Amino acid sequence: MTFNPLEQRGIPLDRQVRSWRELDVAPIDPDATDPYTRCRVITMNGIEVEAILFSHQLARHTADPEIKRSLAEVRYVEAQQQKAVNWLLPGVSSVLETTIAYEQVAVDLTAWIARMEPDPYLRQAYEFGVLEDFDHLYRYANLYEMIEHRKAESIVDGLTEVMPGRPTRMHHRHPYDNVRDPYDRTRVDPLSKLHALTVMSAEQQTMNFYMNTGPTYMEPIARQLYQEIGLIEEEHVTHYESLVDPGETWWEQLVNHEYNECYLYYSFMEQESHPKVKALWELHLNMELEHLRIACDLMRRHDGREPEEVLAPQLPNVLTFEPNKAYLRELLATQIDLTTLGAGYVREAHERFEEMQRRLNDGERPPSDRVMDQHRQVFGRDYRLETEGPHPVASERA
Amino acid sequence: MGAAEDEAVDEHARTGDPVAGDDVVALLMRQHGEIHTLFDEVRAAEGEARAEAFRRLVRLLAVHETAEEEVVHPHARTAFDGGGEVADDRLAEEKAAKEKLTALEDMDVSDPAFVPALLSLRNAVLVHARAEERYEFALLRRTTSPARLALMAKAVRAAEATAPTHPHPGVESAAANLAVGPVAAVMDRARDAIRRTMGGGDG
Repeated sequence: MTFNPLEQRGIPLDRQVRSWRELDVAPIDPDATDPYTRCRVITMNGIEVEAILFSHQLARHTADPEIKRSLAEVRYVEAQQQKAVNWLLPGVSSVLETTIAYEQVAVDLTAWIARMEPDPYLRQAYEFGVLEDFDHLYRYANLYEMIEHRKAESIVDGLTEVMPGRPTRMHHRHPYDNVRDPYDRTRVDPLSKLHALTVMSAEQQTMNFYMNTGPTYMEPIARQLYQEIGLIEEEHVTHYESLVDPGETWWEQLVNHEYNECYLYYSFMEQESHPKVKALWELHLNMELEHLRIACDLMRRHDGREPEEVLAPQLPNVLTFEPNKAYLRELLATQIDLTTLGAGYVREAHERFEEMQRRLNDGERPPSDRVMDQHRQVFGRDYRLETEGPHPVASERA
Repeated sequence: MGAAEDEAVDEHARTGDPVAGDDVVALLMRQHGEIHTLFDEVRAAEGEARAEAFRRLVRLLAVHETAEEEVVHPHARTAFDGGGEVADDRLAEEKAAKEKLTALEDMDVSDPAFVPALLSLRNAVLVHARAEERYEFALLRRTTSPARLALMAKAVRAAEATAPTHPHPGVESAAANLAVGPVAAVMDRARDAIRRTMGGGDG
């Protein structure tokens, strides 16, 4: 690939503010659209939310009012981008349907990134996390059939399998063990920085979504399951954010954010099948090129360094939504029983882990187990979608 | 926390629990799911299988909408503030959906215009279903006793058992349902079953 965002010209910032009419995007059809189009929408929403929140934090750490104004101007456009992207989701979908789509994103985005990640320690972090999102998909799919009497295959469309992963009850680790070691910004492959930022942003948005939509449910088991998985999403944000080198300056981080947005809009534009959505990815790419140019100027001015020193010379291979079934089955067969200890991984349940479990469960089964009990009580079976044969772990077979 | 509040929490736990399951809201939400799945099935099928799936869809829509018109909306009118306006909005949606359904019924399932018309109907039905769940059902659960919700569920199941053919535009009010011809006669049977179950109450 020869696309280098640093050499492209985008839309001038003073022409980027859109009217109400331009923001009023037509939502995608939930049944007649490629599920991976919806995955791209959910991913880019998470990326834009992170862009907005990061810019707010940066502004709060900036004394110079002119810099604050410059950040505010770009941030307003990013807030409009977030609206245009997330409003592609249709109002006829229920919260639980959108939730299942979020978990499909978490599974296929994290699995693809794990497959492409050059650094073994970072790859292990993604492989570890994806088996948990995989199990969340299974639990929510069972809740969905119980409440809405629909099967999750109508949402994931056979692209992603639905079956047990690492059991959700095992995800409640002591917070001490959720912090990983960071990569070294001076030696790591620039692609690894983009991966960490992307997965962190996606998990952060999932955390935000569950913490706000969970209490909108009336059904007690639904409220409880969103609470439980919402807490795990916070663990995941801790896990992934700790991979990023804290030695990156604010301006370097800003450049990485803007570069990553260019990378993802470019990637999604290349593979998008929905013509209107593709046009939006292209428009936003052309906006991001200008945001990147502005961020690079700020970095030169305040850090006295060239952005080229920290960025890849050209965009890496496009980030792709595609089935990862064989890869996930391999991970299930080999890593389902892992947990963390300090910054590393072990197979045995250690003392800190067990103490945390005792305090949380207090002698009862967690909501993620009770949702399965209730589902079996109604249907006499669990819900799963195994398109490639029985579960790779014998004890997890139906 | 007082005794009354304790009671409210208990009641919520029972009505909101999908396993307890037989309050009218859980039942109608199950039907929403089945209707949506039937739309998928009609769209994916071809030839006689599509025609057969479509017939089942029409039947289910008829049972479902009749039950809502007879049981849910009249109750909503008095159950909470603004209930009358909420019910009117739902009836308007039902009428729009029925008009789309009528247009489809005269069409051959292999007609190239069938699938676009089906998708248009599906959208109207989904919008209506979601609006009921958000603006009507949520308030019903808040304002109606578990016993009443269970009785309403029983009435909806009685309507299900009479299996009417399909809904008819212009009969969205309970009163007008009495007046119309042969199709409405089937709906009358559903209505009668409902009234019997509800013990001649207000629906």
